[in-house]
Amino acid sequence: MRGKRLALLLLLPFALFWVAFQLAPLVWIAINSFWSEMNEAWGWDNYHDILTSPFYLQAFRFSLDISFWSSVYGLLISLIAGYSLHQVGSGRLQRFMMSFTNMTSNFAGVPLAFAFVILLGLNGCLTLLLRHYELIESFKLFSRNGMVLVYTWFQIPLGVLLLYPAFDGLKRDWQESAALLGASRWRYWWHIGLPILFPALLGTFVILLANALGAYATIYALTTGNFNVVPVRIAALVSGDISLDPNTGSALAMLLVLIMALITVVQQYLVRRSYLNAK
Amino acid sequence: MSYLEVKQLNKSYGPTQIFQQIDFSAEEGEFVTLLGPSGCGKSTLLRCLAGLTSVDSGQILLQGKDIVPLSPQNRHIGMVFQSYALFPNMTVEKNVAFGLKMQKLPGHEVQQRVTEVLALVELTEFARRYPHQLSGGQCQRVALARSLVTRPRLLLLDEPLSALDARIRRHLRDQIRRIQKELKLTTLFVTHDQEEALTLSDRIVLMNKGKIVQNGDAESLYTQPVDHFAAGFIGHYNLLSAEQATQLTGQTFHSQVAIRPETIRFTPLGSGIPAEIISHTLLGNVIRYRVSAHGIELSIDVLNRTAADLHPVGMQIGLQLEMSTLRQVA
Amino acid sequence: MSRAEQIYHRLIVWLLFLILALPLVATLLYAVSSDWSNTILPEGYSLKWFIQLWSDGRFLTALGHSLLICFGALIFSLVLVLPAMFVIAYYYPRLDAVMNVLILMPFAVPPVVSSVGLLQLYSSSPLMLTGTPWILIGCYFTIALPFIYRAIANNMQAINLRELIDAAHLLGASTWQAALFVVLPNLRKGVLIAVLLSFSFLIGEFVFANLLVGNRYETLQVYLFNMRNGSGHFTSALVISYFFVVLLVTWLANVLNPERG
Repeated sequence: MRGKRLALLLLLPFALFWVAFQLAPLVWIAINSFWSEMNEAWGWDNYHDILTSPFYLQAFRFSLDISFWSSVYGLLISLIAGYSLHQVGSGRLQRFMMSFTNMTSNFAGVPLAFAFVILLGLNGCLTLLLRHYELIESFKLFSRNGMVLVYTWFQIPLGVLLLYPAFDGLKRDWQESAALLGASRWRYWWHIGLPILFPALLGTFVILLANALGAYATIYALTTGNFNVVPVRIAALVSGDISLDPNTGSALAMLLVLIMALITVVQQYLVRRSYLNAK
Repeated sequence: MSYLEVKQLNKSYGPTQIFQQIDFSAEEGEFVTLLGPSGCGKSTLLRCLAGLTSVDSGQILLQGKDIVPLSPQNRHIGMVFQSYALFPNMTVEKNVAFGLKMQKLPGHEVQQRVTEVLALVELTEFARRYPHQLSGGQCQRVALARSLVTRPRLLLLDEPLSALDARIRRHLRDQIRRIQKELKLTTLFVTHDQEEALTLSDRIVLMNKGKIVQNGDAESLYTQPVDHFAAGFIGHYNLLSAEQATQLTGQTFHSQVAIRPETIRFTPLGSGIPAEIISHTLLGNVIRYRVSAHGIELSIDVLNRTAADLHPVGMQIGLQLEMSTLRQVA
Repeated sequence: MSRAEQIYHRLIVWLLFLILALPLVATLLYAVSSDWSNTILPEGYSLKWFIQLWSDGRFLTALGHSLLICFGALIFSLVLVLPAMFVIAYYYPRLDAVMNVLILMPFAVPPVVSSVGLLQLYSSSPLMLTGTPWILIGCYFTIALPFIYRAIANNMQAINLRELIDAAHLLGASTWQAALFVVLPNLRKGVLIAVLLSFSFLIGEFVFANLLVGNRYETLQVYLFNMRNGSGHFTSALVISYFFVVLLVTWLANVLNPERG
């Protein structure tokens, strides 16, 4: 069919721009991570330097720490809140909250950083409130715990939106027959509800994790690069804040992508082992 | 005091009355069918018996005690859903064992009872399979096994066969009845299929628009419908107005009359009521005729015994009515 | 569901609302307060910050830049993606699986990572794109792609593309005419959703805007970041205004959509 081959031409512009702006940078990074500017040679030098440097290793530790815990808390909150949102039944409240959650998922980044300073900064209104009621001495926003809090906040809307469709898959019949067979609400969730949700929970967790690992804007705006996480380090190496070293930056970036790929592989494996794919 | 007594049960949802003043009872080991069209309230009634939906007023006495205040967990009632409701994350074995696990029975007893009940529903080889690997009929048998293994006081079945194809439906129907008789389990069965109701039940409770229309065994429900709804629902009654019945038979009638299609006989033209055959449909072992007599259309069912029973369209023929089988209905 | 359950669920939803609204409310309060240094609630209220903001030339320029780039990138993306999706849906349906993998890439490869390569590739001739809005248009295309693809793919599936085109053929139209006059008008809903989802995402984008272009073509987010050392009231007014713009565009789009939202 001549039309068919001609149609391929229409795919060309799309493919061109996709390659130029999505694929090419990745390829460049992959290749140039092996070029060491310092030694002017090809090899594993960049990777070696990173993996033996306490500074970079700390960046990985902090990144994984903050990303992991904010994803765990975020998932938990999304599970409870998302389920209630589902159960509250279609009506004004549900429709409003769905749009509102959608809206807040775009609040992350620089605006969120500023908002949290207003709330929980040194003289933030919440900090003052809590100190007034003697609930806490002081709250350090610019600390590991502060970051986990901020990250958890922007994980919630994403988690709720991702997890929400999964609740449609929880048939009411199952809860009712479990009740007739003697299961209390808790036992239903433990034996049936949560196991059924498991693949969706795992998938959402992985997306939340990737979201947190790659997040740059929020933490940069909050700490201006003074908090040591991998995205901040990468950006510093390519924007010439201290030292311009795009090759080490590439190696760092590749390691980050590798971690995310690894997490995805583990998740796929776990889902394959679940009841969904029983032979 | 019957085994199960339902007294003055009422349920409404907002302005709609789902069912009202429901009164019926079941003896121990009896198979009672709740029959009626969609929306008559039978499924909701069943759910109220199970405790899944609350009632507005009334009592449900099971073995003498009112179970209305009890939660579903504590009623010790088994239920089979139309959609099977098997837990997808558990094997057949684990599904069936679930109720026993909730009762905290020791492992070996659980294993023994599960094996027993799986043999009863003929699914022993499927113990380790998951629900998504089973056919509809197999799923329903697992659902049945899961309800039976806990030795419930009452078994509720909510249109369990509606989602299955005809052949499986018949086979499973017989199996359910056989098991029920064997275990002497008091059973309530909800369906809109009158054939199912007639073949399975010891007693049928016919419902319409939230009220009980008639309550009796299959024979009395079929031959003595109490009003025109009952006559229209069970069987393929010919429903005639008083004037039509008077015109047809020569006798005077003052209310509607229901005539069963199999009680009208064909006679050679000249004897009986003159009629013309409008159409015939082959239903397998029965031929259903539509005839016109005195301008009134009637259905007549004739057993398909020989070729001589197949009369062509347009044929002039005579009809003979069995007057004792004519039912006057409200 | 029992009364107790209903109350519990409503409570949780309201709690969710509270948690999510808190930063927004705090920012709003800060934007309309005249002074709020170390007290739990503002010391006074005033709209002066908004007036100051909206009369600031630099802000208006940044706003203009953001709107231009976002809409420009969206239109550009639609022009690239719609024909491609049509070709795949009608001629090469098996490529759909490939596309589904492709659109995952922006999530697997975060903007920070892409920026490394983008800076190296396009900072020197012949393709001197960094520092200009053009590189943003290209990058935003890759970001918007998953949203656009998902929304339109769902739409295409719902309208039964193949059958529509077959019917059009039987009535004498060429494939080209069918695509233009039959398929495209029916994709309005998908396009609208795609634009809505992508727009709010794009206008909030900071990483590419800051790393690749910076102050040479200041967008709203970069401007916001650059103002961080100034008055907190001012930046709060800025955030609220930015949010207001997003809401406005979203509302406009919903109004323009004649069907039920």
